[in-house]
Amino acid sequence: MSAEPVRVLVTGAAGQIAYSLLFGIAKGDVFGKDQPITLILLDITPMLPVLGGVVMELQDCALPLLREVIPTDKEEVAFKDLDAAILVGSMPRREGMERKDLLKANVAIFKSQGAALEKYAKKTVKVLVVGNPANTNCLIAAKSAPSIPKENFSCLTRLDHNRARSQVAMRCGVPATQVKNVIIWGNHSSTQYPDVHHCKVNMAGSDLACFDAVKDDDWLKGAFISTVQQRGAAVIAARKLSSAMSAAKAICDHMRDIWSGTPEGEFVSMGVYSSSNSYGVAEDLIYSFPVHIKDKQWKIVDGLAINEFSRGKMDATAAELVEERDTAVTFLSA
Amino acid sequence: MLTLLTAMYIVVRAASSEADPIRVLVTGAAGQIAYSLLYSIAKGDVFGKDQPIILVLLDIPPMLPVLDGVVMELQDCALPLLREVIPTDKVEVGFKDLDAAILVGSMPRKEGMERKDLLKANVAIFKTQGAALEKYAKKTVRVLVVGNPANTNCLIASKSAPSIPKENFSCLTRLDHNRARSQVAMRCGVPADAVKNVIIWGNHSSTQYPDVHHAMVNVRGKEVEAYDAVKDDSWLKGDFISTVQLRGAAVIKARKLSSAMSAAKAICDHMRDWWFGTLDGEFMSMGVYAGGNSYGIPEDLIYSFPVHIKNKLWNIHDGLPINDFSRAKMDATAAELVEERDTALSFLSQ
Repeated sequence: MSAEPVRVLVTGAAGQIAYSLLFGIAKGDVFGKDQPITLILLDITPMLPVLGGVVMELQDCALPLLREVIPTDKEEVAFKDLDAAILVGSMPRREGMERKDLLKANVAIFKSQGAALEKYAKKTVKVLVVGNPANTNCLIAAKSAPSIPKENFSCLTRLDHNRARSQVAMRCGVPATQVKNVIIWGNHSSTQYPDVHHCKVNMAGSDLACFDAVKDDDWLKGAFISTVQQRGAAVIAARKLSSAMSAAKAICDHMRDIWSGTPEGEFVSMGVYSSSNSYGVAEDLIYSFPVHIKDKQWKIVDGLAINEFSRGKMDATAAELVEERDTAVTFLSA
Repeated sequence: MLTLLTAMYIVVRAASSEADPIRVLVTGAAGQIAYSLLYSIAKGDVFGKDQPIILVLLDIPPMLPVLDGVVMELQDCALPLLREVIPTDKVEVGFKDLDAAILVGSMPRKEGMERKDLLKANVAIFKTQGAALEKYAKKTVRVLVVGNPANTNCLIASKSAPSIPKENFSCLTRLDHNRARSQVAMRCGVPADAVKNVIIWGNHSSTQYPDVHHAMVNVRGKEVEAYDAVKDDSWLKGDFISTVQLRGAAVIKARKLSSAMSAAKAICDHMRDWWFGTLDGEFMSMGVYAGGNSYGIPEDLIYSFPVHIKNKLWNIHDGLPINDFSRAKMDATAAELVEERDTALSFLSQ
């Protein structure tokens, strides 16, 4: 095992999602079981003692691929020579905070991190934005790193994608891996559109169209959609904490697929740059599309038939993203 | 004719390639350690990447809503091996037909609680769970006790399940073992898996004895004895030992929470090695029944020893020379376990 280590940054590294995520990365589940890793952990200064505890635990895991762990609160250390960046940390909504204030605080963070990527990271860096509002934070980071290709930036909608798969699977009584090609369109928010018109379910050895496998159009166009849209809130209501385990799994899936590609005939959902898309979605957004991935490059799956029902929902989530973007961009130039 | 036979063979192959699921229980399932653990089990990292699993999650009634959230998340992970998830607060559901049980839940120490009270509360829990194993689980069940005081809780559970072989019960000292490996590895500038055959003797407490007299370090392709690789005997006999003994407290101090990630990793290592065996020439640390041991440790304890594992059976690695320094430390941790056992047994008979 003599491959050069990859340099991977996780921000919000002292937090809940990172705690579930770091082990999966360090174990080799994301970048490959023979790929050594230098793991850089960034968080805000008050969290450095907690970060020290996380570093101790990673050492105590005795993982052979983990070459080095670098805890820091400094951007010039964190973003240096990166191959991959997973930006989990963001400003959380506090009581009494308006949406506008949340957006303003996060624009400041992601403008700074985008500029740090521009200044310190490799130009080939792949950036996954998780911290919410993920799509808009991702767009701000990309705009603040003009010499890094916009295609290198993406945001996480894989958790919603996995949730959609799992809901259909449970309905059909099959393992979730037998449900393929669900799509999450749009914003990682309650306007997201989980679309199963092109989804296939493998039942008793043959691939059925999802609507035929489920045999409940009302559910697929109604409660299924709202269940997936509101699943995050349901988990918080039960656990009193947000979904760390399943979010971490989705992050690993997303990053692993970028690194090693998607299987033939399968597509996954990613929030990516919308310019030149063939689905009539507004340009200059980070919008979740169905994609294939090969050689670390994603391509939107073109030519899928879109009916009126889907069109309405795809446009609604795009409209929300346009509004978010326009508000955020005013803060960018402020 | 050939085509027909081939077709039949393919059908039979397909039908039998899907292994029967195993039933795995995790107690304290709504808690912090379980949260870091369940995903790895469900993913196939412990029982094998082709072994389907029925995951049974036990916790106390007030935690059932939180447990529902955990079930939701496991569903949202879309894991192919996870056939079923059964959340419950009932022992007759939790312990039914088990192949493996990981007993994480125990009574935590509360402010003002004396050691004796902690022991009494835990004896009650593990007596009940041992009896449930006896009544409901398969006789082949493998039981790993994590909840502290792990060694004594394990002994109580085993005594409460008389028709399940004592060899099927163990407690976790693999976290201490991994910590010891990692400390030596960092000192030598090598990856942690280049350090082999450390030993944790005794109680999973601050009297544990991390022993590297028989450990080997792979330095640039050559196997070197740990004492020669480290070249700092006073560190190995001093700070190294106390660092490993007190590591749990150091993590709590920094994180304000106990070690879940690394504990979960150690649980996976322990269970996986029990299931698939240890490599030739390597031994691991496990808290096991001391009956018949050749190291002069009192019988009728659960004591951590160096073990080999094959066909799901562990064997203590015999014949290691024990010097005076090691002897004293091994005896001290045994003495603590004897005292814990005697106090616990007095509660058992009440």
